[in-house]
Amino acid sequence: MNYPNQKRVETFSIEINGQSCRAISGETVVDVARREGIEIPTLCHDTRLEPAGACRVCLVEVEGQRRLQPGCAWKVQPDMKVTTESTRIEKHRTILYSMYMSDHQLDESGLPVETGNGNQLRELCKTIDPLPLEPVNAPRAGRPEDVNPYIEFNPELCILCARCTRYCDEVEAVNAITLSNRGGETTIATAGNRGLLDTTCELCGGCIATCPTGALIEKKAPTNLVTLETEVTRSTCNFCGVGCQLDLHVHNDRVVKVTSPEPGETVNDGNLCVKGRFAYDFIHHEDRITTPLIRGADGELRPASWEEALEATANGLMAVKARHGADSLGFISSSRCTGEENYLMQKLSRAVFGTNNIHQCAAT
Amino acid sequence: MQKPNANREKIIELLEHAGGVTEDSVREVHEQTGIPEADIWGTGLFYTLLREPGQRIRLCDGLTCQMFGADSLAMELTEAGKAVERVSCLGQCDLAPASLDEAMELVTYAKHKTAISPPNELAMNLAGEVDLTYSALKKVKEMSPEDVIAALESSGLQGRGGAGFPAHFKWTSLRQQAETERYVICNADEAEPGTFKDRELILRQAHKMLEGLAIAAHVIEAKEIYIYIRGEYTNEYRAIERALEDSKAALQEFEFTIVKGHGAYICGEETALLESLEGKRGMPRLKPPYPTESGFRGKPSLIHNVETIACVPSIIHRGGDWFRSLGKTEAGSKLYCISGHVVAPGVYELPLGVSLDELVAAAGGYVGNPIAFSPGGASSGFLPIAERGLPLDYKHLADAGSMLGSAGVVVINDTVDMAKAAAWQLEFFERESCGQCAPCRIGTQYIRRQVDQFIQLGDPVTLAMTADVGWEMEEGSICGLGMVAAKPLESARKHFPDAFKTRD
Amino acid sequence: MFGAGAMTNSIEEIRDSELMFVIGSNTTEAHPIIAMEMKRARQRGAKLIVADPRKIWLADMADLHLQLKPGTDVWLLSAMANVIIAEGLHDREFIEANTDGFDAMAEKVADYTPEKAEEVTGVPADDIRIAARLYATTKHAGIYYTLGITEHTHGTDNVYCLANLVLMTGHLGVRSAGMNPLRGQNNVQGANDAGATPIFYPGYQSVTDSKVREKFENAWGVPLSPDNGLNLNVMMKEMAVGNLKAVYVMGEDIVISEPNVTKVEEGLNRCEFVVCQEIFHNETTRFADVILPGACFAEKDGVFTNSDRRVQRVRKSVNPPGEAREDWKILCDVARSAGYPMPEYEDAGEVFSEYASLTPKIAGISHERLEESISGLQWPCPDETHPGTPTLHIDGPMIGRAPFQAVDYRPSAELPDNDYPLVLSTGRTLYHYNSATQTRRDAGPVAKQRNNFIEMHRSDARKLELKHGENVRVMSRRGEVEAEVWVSPRMRPGCIWMPMHFSESRANLLTNDAGDQVTGTGEYKVCAVRVEKMSNSKTVG
Repeated sequence: MNYPNQKRVETFSIEINGQSCRAISGETVVDVARREGIEIPTLCHDTRLEPAGACRVCLVEVEGQRRLQPGCAWKVQPDMKVTTESTRIEKHRTILYSMYMSDHQLDESGLPVETGNGNQLRELCKTIDPLPLEPVNAPRAGRPEDVNPYIEFNPELCILCARCTRYCDEVEAVNAITLSNRGGETTIATAGNRGLLDTTCELCGGCIATCPTGALIEKKAPTNLVTLETEVTRSTCNFCGVGCQLDLHVHNDRVVKVTSPEPGETVNDGNLCVKGRFAYDFIHHEDRITTPLIRGADGELRPASWEEALEATANGLMAVKARHGADSLGFISSSRCTGEENYLMQKLSRAVFGTNNIHQCAAT
Repeated sequence: MQKPNANREKIIELLEHAGGVTEDSVREVHEQTGIPEADIWGTGLFYTLLREPGQRIRLCDGLTCQMFGADSLAMELTEAGKAVERVSCLGQCDLAPASLDEAMELVTYAKHKTAISPPNELAMNLAGEVDLTYSALKKVKEMSPEDVIAALESSGLQGRGGAGFPAHFKWTSLRQQAETERYVICNADEAEPGTFKDRELILRQAHKMLEGLAIAAHVIEAKEIYIYIRGEYTNEYRAIERALEDSKAALQEFEFTIVKGHGAYICGEETALLESLEGKRGMPRLKPPYPTESGFRGKPSLIHNVETIACVPSIIHRGGDWFRSLGKTEAGSKLYCISGHVVAPGVYELPLGVSLDELVAAAGGYVGNPIAFSPGGASSGFLPIAERGLPLDYKHLADAGSMLGSAGVVVINDTVDMAKAAAWQLEFFERESCGQCAPCRIGTQYIRRQVDQFIQLGDPVTLAMTADVGWEMEEGSICGLGMVAAKPLESARKHFPDAFKTRD
Repeated sequence: MFGAGAMTNSIEEIRDSELMFVIGSNTTEAHPIIAMEMKRARQRGAKLIVADPRKIWLADMADLHLQLKPGTDVWLLSAMANVIIAEGLHDREFIEANTDGFDAMAEKVADYTPEKAEEVTGVPADDIRIAARLYATTKHAGIYYTLGITEHTHGTDNVYCLANLVLMTGHLGVRSAGMNPLRGQNNVQGANDAGATPIFYPGYQSVTDSKVREKFENAWGVPLSPDNGLNLNVMMKEMAVGNLKAVYVMGEDIVISEPNVTKVEEGLNRCEFVVCQEIFHNETTRFADVILPGACFAEKDGVFTNSDRRVQRVRKSVNPPGEAREDWKILCDVARSAGYPMPEYEDAGEVFSEYASLTPKIAGISHERLEESISGLQWPCPDETHPGTPTLHIDGPMIGRAPFQAVDYRPSAELPDNDYPLVLSTGRTLYHYNSATQTRRDAGPVAKQRNNFIEMHRSDARKLELKHGENVRVMSRRGEVEAEVWVSPRMRPGCIWMPMHFSESRANLLTNDAGDQVTGTGEYKVCAVRVEKMSNSKTVG
């Protein structure tokens, strides 16, 4: 058995581009470089996943190694020397990115398409003068028949970095999607190419969040998300008690998309579940109560002004208190509301109406 | 994430029994093993032999089979109403063209039989008598492990699968591992176009392989021995089963398991082989860690090619120095496969370092006017016939920009268009790329596509970027397949520039 | 427990566990993101023991699944304690230094042998031994539990038994260990912290403590009641018998979420005055005299406190629809309408400041500080320079001594009999949330789970001649609902399970409102039911 807490931690120094850096045993070249602010590009790397070394974007020179080595997977050793910028690496990046472009959907400007979910390949391709490679037209199959409401896969933007399948295996652990076929036919598939609703998928959308190129996108998000001006507000999820942090993307006073902060930043480490990521339609649902309502003598609810409603509320409670005493009132607060609101509710119960009959569904 | 009691190693075999990948078979295997359906689906579809259930003839389209009319044979068969699938090299280049029938039994179309060296005093001695005494194993049990490894070291035995890595290093490394759960694995996934030596070795001298494996297991203190054999080698699989049956008494302390491959050349790469053994897609692992530290099931594993391990009993019997002295330029004797335009294609055991001329002399001479040869399978590219005097060994061929590889030598005469020869090899790599890393996955597609266009249009401009792409494939790929996959084109253009000039 | 009902350790510590003991928590569905940390720990080699009557997803991944009969937790846990003490695996040094009452507890559990426990719980005695040894001898071993522990008439006893295990093994003040209730709702921790409880002012300060009361009287400028109030369970009963005459319900659908809702409905009908402050019409608003339209989380500022005591900001990103208002503003306005001089708070941050100034545990937290701390602040955080407390009791000895509790097993209030032969447990699913007014308005959850269902073992289904997908009637002494049958390998024979989310088919028409003596929590996890084939049944799905 592996006892992570008891592992001996050694620190030593390594050299990256001639600069001395502190490193901890078990770290990779990319781990150290990122901490030191040295940029090594990656596509298939996600701190939550075991390194795959598959995209080859992070190849660096390691002294003593004949071949270029993947920085995302290469473990640091005391006194090792790493080079991340050289003519060899530049040539490697130029050709590799160009090859990716020959296997990718491009926009009018000749760059990898941006779908509104971020396309890191596009950003990388901006850093090179690409070779004019003809498209390879790889026969990657998609799943056009998949009717699930949330997750869409566009094989033309897929670089087969397998972040989605590894996430589905290693983090969400439901193994709904897999790498399938071989060579140029390799694609992301489900068993029997079934729609996600007919698989073990729990619709967490983590595959979308980890996809570096936007090959996986949200069906719910507006199609013109790329050009849409949105404001992003950090907040806390309103479902279970984990306290996941959310970024609410807002356009025109409407929430149009919900994402997680980057891995490593918050309690949810970049993860969300189906409710946190997707179940936000209720916010702008037409069934929302939009005006105060008072039940009339006829037993029907009718719209009322705030003044009326507040007065009715205060008078109704005070009348019962007057008739039967403060402890004939009960205040049921909500574990769905904020701390401030719960504070005010118990203050209302205790200070305003004089009873400690204040509770919420504490055990649930 | 795998459930604690799930059995992944079994899924490929179970899929085979279920007749290949279908929604139903995947569900069935899921229920039997607890492995998620998607993983079974994705793993099954990696392997050609599981991919499309249903019966059909599998016709080889390897280089030699193509040279001997595989395309027209395919047309004939199709016209006769047969279902035909073109598959990568079947390891029958000496009997080209070759196929497997609907029941996976071998059918070859050559008029001649495989030729082999006559009985001799060399290490393999394919035509020699079968020795069932397992006396080398008995001798090893009287020796210290250090002495066995010392004998290996003095023999100079290098890995015969292609890499040429000194064998004793691996044994030493295994013995140094703290982990005591260790495995011996025999790589019998012979699939390099032009190569069929392990086939003959297994059919004629399987006990040498088994004894070598037992010796290795004894020395590194492993109990379990796995033999991974390509799924197309139906006869050879049976030969190993028979040999195990015949040697039950001698090998009773070891647990042998034969595992079938299912049509994926890449599984000859040792870490891809490990993945396949573990019931996964045969995608090579990143190295380090090497299999000697973390191999099968994450445990130290000694992996040897059939020929390498089969050399071991004779080394034990007659000493490392004897073995070393068998070679001409490097240590030992070597099984050379020769096919293509020669009189008597087959497997010849000769001193390591003979020239092409010497090898072809053993095989009865050239047919027609030779212009090129491929010394070590598709991965070695092409050399011009002018290099006929070059020693066929690890060092000289590497210096010449090629490699001995698996010593699958193919001779090509002037009836063959070298651009086409290159295209056939490129198609092989494209089909067999595992698809994991972009340089290989995209590069093999790109280069094959451009060469096809050149052959169609005759315009060299289509090849303008192939050298750059080839450079990246060699620099950037994860494993050896991608690193050499551009070799056929690169070497053909270098040595046969006329074949790549503007055509009408 | 050991201070307050909250996780002693942090969520991010889970990934470094060596052992996780998960009991009464279907973590992958109820707390999916905490479950991800558990999966990560599993991936890294941690052991996993799951105790649950259902073969939940985590049980599939577990080294050991203790599939106990519902309501027999005290037996299981006492037997584990029995093994630990009998085999001398308890931490004498820790017990000596930090606890009281060990001997009495030890004497009590001496009767709870694994063999006898096997008879009651159905868990093999050897499995109980293995679990006990593994738990006692592993350093970084945490207990994780949820409502499967607390939603019983003996919920408090269950919690005591867990605490006994933690204390006797010294699994406190250690990283990736401790006692960790996973709170069911986004801010159930924060609501308790803020004093929405009948016996505590904010910060668990007792309403019967005159010094404390004086502090609040001074701060709020009015005299306050010296008597403990009624908990929710008792309020519902008092309402039904006509003693509670008016209720003000904010953001809660008690006609779905409370047990034995028929009685709740009767009570609401008897009330003289009912106020609901809500974002959607629900089952409870049907009884309201006044409905005040509130704001959802995206429309207001404030804080939520999660399971690991982490206070985090909720930020307004859109405006409430129509005339709906932020709930904190509504509450202030109601107070003012009733003549109370509620301060003119500029924003929610000012409300928080008042709350924090009266609550030592969070005195160091403010909205301003939360702007700086991207991952929130975990209480206790007594002053502005305090960094918060990821792990309780981690620095040196515990403050104060923790008592062991000698606990007697009491059966659940209602056990199966000839008329009602099956045990019903209720709970949540991954796809819906509570009364599902939010999640049933989204396509994914609806596509996954459109209608109410029960999970049933195939042997029970065979006995009742039921097919998967068939509609049935589920009946208890309190009510009946219709649902689909899902024949499920997850169930024990004799037990069925039903989610609580469906307003047209309310599980809580069936459940028993017998409450825990201490907390008043209803017995949602055990009641006796009967399942009947529908006469004109049609097969669905």
